[in-house]
Amino acid sequence: MELHRFGIKLFAAEPADIRVKDFVPVFHSWIQRQAVEGHLLIDVHDYGHIQNGPGILLVAHEGNFCTDMAEGKLGLAYFRKQPAGASVESHLDSALKAARQAASLLEQEAVFEGRLRFRKDELLVIANDRLLAPNDAATFATLQSPLTKVFGTGAKLLHASTNPKDRLTVRVTGNPLS
Amino acid sequence: MPTWEEKLADTLDPQLADEIDKFATEITLRKQGKLDEKVFAETRLRRGCYGQRYDNGHRHDGIRSQELHYPADLTKGPDTLWDAPGMQRIKIPFGGMNPDQMDVLADLAEEYADGVLHVTTRQDIQYHFIHIDDTPAIMRRLGAVGITTREACGNSVRNVTACPLAGVCKTETFDVVPYAKATARFMLGHPDAQNFGRKFKIAFSGCRQEACGLANMHDMGLIAATRVEDGKVRRGFELYVGGGLGAVPHDAKLFDEFLPEEELLPFTQAIARVFARLGEKKQRDRARLKFLIAKLGIEEFKTLVVEERKVLAHDTRWTEYLGGVEAYGEKPLKPPTFLNGQKRPEGFDAWYSTNVYRQKQEGYVVASVTLPLGDLSSWQMRELANVARRFSGDSVRTTVEQNIVLRWVSETDLPDLYRELARIGLGAPGAGTIVDVTACPGTDTCKLGISSSRGLAGELRTRLAAKSFNLDEAVKNLRIKISGCFNSCGQHHIADLGFFGTTLTINNRKVPHFQVVLGGKWQDNGGAYGLALVRVPSKRIPEVIDRITDRYVRERTAAENFQDFVKRTGKKELRNMLEDLTKVPPYEVDPSFYSDWGDPREYTIGDMGTGECAGEVISAAQFDLAAADRLVFEAQLHLDGGDYTNADRLAYRAMLQAALSLIRAEWPEAPDEADTITREFRTRFFDTNIWGDRYAGSKFAQYMFARHAAPPNVNTHDQAHRLVEESQLFVEAVYRGHDILTERGQK
Repeated sequence: MELHRFGIKLFAAEPADIRVKDFVPVFHSWIQRQAVEGHLLIDVHDYGHIQNGPGILLVAHEGNFCTDMAEGKLGLAYFRKQPAGASVESHLDSALKAARQAASLLEQEAVFEGRLRFRKDELLVIANDRLLAPNDAATFATLQSPLTKVFGTGAKLLHASTNPKDRLTVRVTGNPLS
Repeated sequence: MPTWEEKLADTLDPQLADEIDKFATEITLRKQGKLDEKVFAETRLRRGCYGQRYDNGHRHDGIRSQELHYPADLTKGPDTLWDAPGMQRIKIPFGGMNPDQMDVLADLAEEYADGVLHVTTRQDIQYHFIHIDDTPAIMRRLGAVGITTREACGNSVRNVTACPLAGVCKTETFDVVPYAKATARFMLGHPDAQNFGRKFKIAFSGCRQEACGLANMHDMGLIAATRVEDGKVRRGFELYVGGGLGAVPHDAKLFDEFLPEEELLPFTQAIARVFARLGEKKQRDRARLKFLIAKLGIEEFKTLVVEERKVLAHDTRWTEYLGGVEAYGEKPLKPPTFLNGQKRPEGFDAWYSTNVYRQKQEGYVVASVTLPLGDLSSWQMRELANVARRFSGDSVRTTVEQNIVLRWVSETDLPDLYRELARIGLGAPGAGTIVDVTACPGTDTCKLGISSSRGLAGELRTRLAAKSFNLDEAVKNLRIKISGCFNSCGQHHIADLGFFGTTLTINNRKVPHFQVVLGGKWQDNGGAYGLALVRVPSKRIPEVIDRITDRYVRERTAAENFQDFVKRTGKKELRNMLEDLTKVPPYEVDPSFYSDWGDPREYTIGDMGTGECAGEVISAAQFDLAAADRLVFEAQLHLDGGDYTNADRLAYRAMLQAALSLIRAEWPEAPDEADTITREFRTRFFDTNIWGDRYAGSKFAQYMFARHAAPPNVNTHDQAHRLVEESQLFVEAVYRGHDILTERGQK
């Protein structure tokens, strides 16, 4: 099986004076109306008591959504679990679409009163599979092509951490979402 | 594309690899429809793959019961859908982990679960939201670092637990770890342990007076002991059998005051064989070893085991590990040092006062890492592994209080260690105090959960931490333990302040409640079991704690411990003190009572049948049920007063009263007469299986039938305690039966 477990982190634009707990009822309401296309939304969990954990987690069969405080910045992360398509690009593209759709839904939630906006100039792509995507220069090089196909030639790709224990993470800048 | 199977082929122990290969094949066969779902369910359970809430494809979303349409129609067990997320339990014998293992545990949580590791009340680690297809890869990667999930669930020998201070404890008789390790290894996959009717739990303690390994509540509890023979000190164990919590807790019985070390494994094997041969197989709720021993009596059981031991074929593994036992020990990473006037970071002193234990080896300490709700993120686990590499080496343990301890820390390193723990969000003080609340998963992920134990635990932790500096010393050291249902996974029976989840229907709406359990004892290896005092709405439990602890501080006599205070004050008075907290405001006045902690969904709405006629009948029935509640409570008072005969009489009467409440919902003139009540209850509600498989009501009905068929000669506290406990559970079950009937509109 090819690499399909991609994670996407979108950063909230600052200042985002948001209470993370407010995501709990929002995610529950998404389940009530099965709000995310292509996803079977199942349950919500509050992991707000854990540092650098999933924060508020929305579990879906296809992938999980969660608030994320990595790098100390509030964001929305999506981790794909099931394959979507027939190529690395399609898996990546599908993960990106899900993250963007969720971000868009969050931006429209009344509880945030328009204060929650997600940045379009920067995001993280995480290859959540240490077998198929070990965190090394060779894998980063291999991923450049599908990343460029999805984000365009204007996107700048930076290998975010060279620690082999970390998952391969690529910082994408240069307005990848605009 | 490479696979973990290929990549780790040379790393895995061949026997373990073969075991995982078999499971992978069973997954394939099940997918092809060539393996029965029940067989597959047991086989996956024996590999630690457990079901999770909503895996039947239904979830109440706060408005309606929603059907979850998973892609595959396939099941991984009866009423358990293949694609539904599940739980993976991982055995950590005696809680021992090293940093390399911690790294792998962290990686797997990140790649296959939700990025969270959960430490359980039996020193295991659990992942949630796992897909069954991913489990062989998880098992291979764990196996590559010497960890197995084999027999982590199912009817097998579960994780062998031990005191997390073993080897460094100041009061232990000797280090029990090599014995716990040998037992875990010997019993893993042992042919004599493959035919149990239920699970089998083993625990090791180094000393009797501390909580230690909680030997009293295990199927087999072993407490280190020595004996001088011919001028030589011999090692052995005080062996207890047949303990257990569960719905009805049983105190373990002394099997042998001194089981010599060389007899540990043969006797474990012999006990397993007797349990496998004679233990209940069909009636699951009567299948634990405690019931077999209660049925046979300890002397008869002992005779059978001794006879079994005599005929066992010799096994060299019984004693070959003993050669290394005396020399067994951990090598400290650094030389011993002392904390002499070093600069202390902010927050250090509070942390030091609760989270540091001085080892018997001078200059070394054990540092407790408090995990809120037993959780830590993958990032934290990986960082903690690095902290361990720097300060304590391989000597890391999980604890039954859902924490992690770093042992053999050189004392001078404590300020730096604290800074590192604080940096990764693991520097909270309060280990082993009232703030350090233990909770099972409850309604968060458990299929059996009734109330949100984790939600309540989180709330209590936040509130108590905020005022921890002002708490009286006597209150600080109390322990709170919470279970989401009567099954005791949160060990509420042995807490100072225990709670277990239950529910009540009020004006056709369900309200989450907790039973308040008092009188339990954590020390002395879980030395006494508490009993339920009163049912209180979930949202009022923080007030329960405030009231009880305030009164304890105000009225305790010098050096009076909490158990003695409860005994002296009396349950009647304590219940009176909480009576007003049992009231639930109407939904229109305060809807917050109708949802659980941390969950904005209304607890239940919509599904229930309504109608004035039904309302009247239910009101009458609830009146009868309240009478049953009172009778159970009065039985408790007799029990506490040592009047076992009356405790039994009232416990039995409470069951009849509760049963009558249901019968009268259908037959208002039903006579209050024992034979009629039991007969009618059996015909109308037991034989018709009104509770269904999801509820344990049917099994609790057996308590009433058994008591009615054969009135026992109640001579001991243990016997009377059990009857009162059974009565309480039966009454709870009738409450649920009521709800079910109401929902079905069958009144």
